[in-house]
Amino acid sequence: MSNLESLKFFWPELILSATALIAILSDLIYERKDSHKVSFWAIGGLLLTFITIRLFGGSSINGLFMGTMALDPFSEFFKILIVLSTIIVMLMSFNSSELDGYRKGEYYTIMSIMAFGLVMMTSAIDVLMFYVAIEIVSIMSFFLAGYLKRNPNSNEASLKYVIYGAFSSGVMLYGLSILFGLTGETNFFAIKNAISQLGPDSNLALILSIVFILVGLGYKISAVPFHFWTPDVYEGSPTSITAYLSVAPKAAGFALIIRFFNIAFGSNSAMGSDEWSSLNSLPWPFLIALLSAATMTIGNLVAIQQQSVKRMLAYSSIAHAGYMMMAIPVMSQSGIYGLMIYLFMYMLMNLGAFFVVMYVQDKFDGENFDAFNGLGWKMPLLGISMTLFMVALTGLPPTSGFVGKFYIFAAVIEAGNQYYWLAFVGVINSVVSLYYYIKVVRHMYFEGERSDIVSLPESKLTTSLVLVLALPTFFLGWYFSPLVEWANNSLNFFLGI
Amino acid sequence: MITGNFYTDASLVILFLPLLGFVINILFGKKLPRQGDWISISAILTTLVLALILFAIMLKNWDYKFSHEVIMPWIDMGAFKIELGFWVDNITIVMLLVVALISSMTHIFSLEYMKGDIRYNRYYAYLGLFTFSMNGIVLANNLMSLYIFWELVGVSSYLLIGHWFEKNSAADASKKAFLTNRVGDIGFFIGIMLMFTAIGSFNFQDVFAGVSDGEIKGNLLTLAGLGLFMGAVGKSSQFPLHIWLPDAMEGPTPVSALMHAATMVAAGVYLTVRLFPIFTPDALVTIAYVGGFTAIFAATIAITQNDIKKVLAYSTVSQLGYMILAVGVGNYTAAFFHLLTHAMFKACLFYGSGSVIHAMHHSLHNLHDHDTDPQDMRNMGGFHKKMPITSTTMTLATLAIAGVPLFSGFLSKDAILAGTLYFVDQNPQHMILAFFGFGAAAITAFYMFRLIFLTFHGEPKMPKVFEGIHESPSLMTAPLVILAALSTYIFYTLPINLIPWKDYGWFTKLIKAKDSVVAGTPSAKEIYDGVHYMHDLALVLSLTVASIGIGLSFLMYYRSTISSKSWAKRFGTFYRLSLNKYYFDEIYNRVFYQPFLKFCNIVAIIDWDLYDKYFINGFGHVTKLLSKVTGQVDYDGLDQTLVDGVGRSAGGLGKGLKNIQTGRLQNYMLFALIGVIIILIVQYSVIL
Repeated sequence: MSNLESLKFFWPELILSATALIAILSDLIYERKDSHKVSFWAIGGLLLTFITIRLFGGSSINGLFMGTMALDPFSEFFKILIVLSTIIVMLMSFNSSELDGYRKGEYYTIMSIMAFGLVMMTSAIDVLMFYVAIEIVSIMSFFLAGYLKRNPNSNEASLKYVIYGAFSSGVMLYGLSILFGLTGETNFFAIKNAISQLGPDSNLALILSIVFILVGLGYKISAVPFHFWTPDVYEGSPTSITAYLSVAPKAAGFALIIRFFNIAFGSNSAMGSDEWSSLNSLPWPFLIALLSAATMTIGNLVAIQQQSVKRMLAYSSIAHAGYMMMAIPVMSQSGIYGLMIYLFMYMLMNLGAFFVVMYVQDKFDGENFDAFNGLGWKMPLLGISMTLFMVALTGLPPTSGFVGKFYIFAAVIEAGNQYYWLAFVGVINSVVSLYYYIKVVRHMYFEGERSDIVSLPESKLTTSLVLVLALPTFFLGWYFSPLVEWANNSLNFFLGI
Repeated sequence: MITGNFYTDASLVILFLPLLGFVINILFGKKLPRQGDWISISAILTTLVLALILFAIMLKNWDYKFSHEVIMPWIDMGAFKIELGFWVDNITIVMLLVVALISSMTHIFSLEYMKGDIRYNRYYAYLGLFTFSMNGIVLANNLMSLYIFWELVGVSSYLLIGHWFEKNSAADASKKAFLTNRVGDIGFFIGIMLMFTAIGSFNFQDVFAGVSDGEIKGNLLTLAGLGLFMGAVGKSSQFPLHIWLPDAMEGPTPVSALMHAATMVAAGVYLTVRLFPIFTPDALVTIAYVGGFTAIFAATIAITQNDIKKVLAYSTVSQLGYMILAVGVGNYTAAFFHLLTHAMFKACLFYGSGSVIHAMHHSLHNLHDHDTDPQDMRNMGGFHKKMPITSTTMTLATLAIAGVPLFSGFLSKDAILAGTLYFVDQNPQHMILAFFGFGAAAITAFYMFRLIFLTFHGEPKMPKVFEGIHESPSLMTAPLVILAALSTYIFYTLPINLIPWKDYGWFTKLIKAKDSVVAGTPSAKEIYDGVHYMHDLALVLSLTVASIGIGLSFLMYYRSTISSKSWAKRFGTFYRLSLNKYYFDEIYNRVFYQPFLKFCNIVAIIDWDLYDKYFINGFGHVTKLLSKVTGQVDYDGLDQTLVDGVGRSAGGLGKGLKNIQTGRLQNYMLFALIGVIIILIVQYSVIL
């Protein structure tokens, strides 16, 4: 489809880019002290984007913009996830005292551009488009991580992020160029057709290319051993941005991995059929299974050692990436929608946990476990919500975290005995994670002074935002079939060109 | 409105509005004006209006086959699937109306009765929770959500019985009710799971279809049916789990009227009515015997009780037995009919007793008398002059329960007795069921009039207290009048029949029995015809026994021609047995609780005194000795080198993992590259 024809299917992205532009312009108009008002425009634009995504939803059109993008329910699911988390993080940033003293206009502008890049990532079906989208996201993340210009930690985080990002982009580009050299194509479907023509003697080169591409994608979802940037960047960035980085790019990264690997390296276009397996018997599913086990194990083991809750959550998000990766190698429909359900639940509980950490950081000036002492008695709402988030992150019933994990594990078990070991590693890791999550609860309720004076957060926005995140985290543990249905209906993307 | 279908919307609102009232009142009730009672009352009155609309639509449509089902998926894992939903048919609509009506009456009655209570807002909140859970049972279309609401009803009952938990007796009674119900519920759960394992669905329709396809049959089906019936035994307080209901009278009287007379205890009967098609003949006979025995057994206890609420409590147990008997003999629409009429007159009786207790309480309070029991009928007498409305309405309800023509109880009781007669006629070996039925009818008439005569007629036994008695305020008498009116026959035979001894009206036309899906059971038509055939005989017999009961009561307690004392002496053993409720609490204590406690003690002794002290500690001693011996060698040799070495290396590994995160970017990239190389090696080794 030509570029002009494609534009009419591109409304959400167009609105998103208009939002970013309006945000920049409005930043020029507002005075410095009013610069946070830019966020109203940004949030308004995002809401409009959300509505248009729903309006244009339901259709499946491949080959937009000369075959570089696809519009389908699968990308719609992830777009909604991304836009929602962007809105939530923007609202979170309202009360962040870290950002005080900086111009806030740019902050919201950059977040809007980043959201645009993420949305592009979810619908790219061309290698070039996918690289451009990833770079938009990466560069905006560098900005955001280093947003606290006068804070050396933030500067360091940003610089590390830039160099590490450049490194992994370079390796990935190398991998992509090998792939191009072998196939001469950039479109996912065309690559797949070309690969199936290749003989087994090119498998060595293909594996080299797959592994190199995984360096770049693994870096986006912080999979071991490409995760090293994560703790340092998460710790140095403003907490609201940490929360954002731990959710939205991960969601987009998973969308891209699922789409790219299943189309370009998957053997059958009929998704969910029995013959669905890896193309030319390339061992990439096994590779991802291995990385998944390593990711969750290392994430969990190191999380145990942490003194800072923020850093603990950084490692825990690595571990969660590991759980989610479990769903990819099983190559089944239930695996993918399990992952989608998990991501949705994970968005709520992880943003919630980071939000409470941000609040405690602002209020009690510390992000170590000790800063949480007695919080449950002082501020029952925050205490209960944080307990809920921790329990959900562990994956215990009756919370949404349990439901998410349940679907992923069920998919792994369903896939037969070749991945039982992976499920086993996953279960052991969930048990291990209980230790450090519940440690937060212990500090909130059993350490420190038990105060009789009870208070709510001063700002109504804080209270309502905590509730907005906590209530679904709880209730989705009881009633989740609409979400499951939605994820299930969002699965079709293997249409071919 | 919500879904566009009126039945679905109305049931959603009816279900969730009381829950909303509960949430608001439990969280903010104390801060609201009037402690939030108006929220609960407006919620319940709205549901009453909706229930009435549904009822009116049902009468207008006049379709006995009407049903409406809504299914919502809850858990969907492909092969494993749980669906929740609603099932609305005529039985549901009638039941919704009963719950909404009695619950509204209770809400209104309590305005006066509970005035000034320290946990006023909580009381109204719990009423809302109860109404929500009860409606949930009524609307459920599957065993799973029915079980969930079943337990919620148990919880709200626990909370309301123990409303005055400062009183030990109330706290104990609430615990007893909850635990006794648990016993039944275990059976219930086993029944549900047997069904689910065999059929793979909780949905009623699927269960019926599965049973009729023979997916579960024979003894297993009997067992599953009896398991489900166990739930009803617990909730509807049937022998041998009847012990909790009389104690539950510790709760506030309006609660007794709502839950422990009209609705909650009827849930068990409702369950058996809903599930009737799956009971095997063996299961039905068992059910009939349990019901019939409970009916006569509880009635004989009620004769000698002096506490006005206890009499009513045993009467409730007995009447529930009646309904269960009707299910057992296959005439289950009659059971549901009796459930409906009983709800009205029994609630009326309970409110009446509440009104009397309320008056006694005030009078005693003004006399500063805190020792006299305000519920003991031996302290009453002659109240008719002081409280004419209460007295008249209670008498009307009593006429209904005794089965006197022109009243609702006559119709439903007659249907049950006719059904029993037909069953006995077909199966003469179960002759005794008929004796249970008619015997209980006679005794019921007797003790209910005893209650009326002792309370409202004769000479006042405590003149001083009598002076202070006055009629209750209109908020309390209004429900009495409404329910007494609803105890007359006319409301159940309209609009096609005005003859007081023929029961075909909207009820018989709209609530039709379904055929059982189990092979070897008589069809609904056979039972209907049989009941019709036995109707006249049953009518004559039941009138005879009712007159005997009423007459005897009249002579003994009104005219005092027969001395009740000398009769008590003449049947000394029986009198003592009845007065002490056949010593059931004592027997359970002897047979179950004490041996169980003893067993626990023995286990504790074995575990602690023998196992722990001798074995474990002995082991410790030996180890200690051994370790002392080897200690020297061990410490110098093994410990210093090997053990510490392992510890050091484990710690080193953990630290090492942490230390990889050096903070130096160069290292990170190096590690990543090493990782890539390792991955490549692994990958290549896989394909080569």
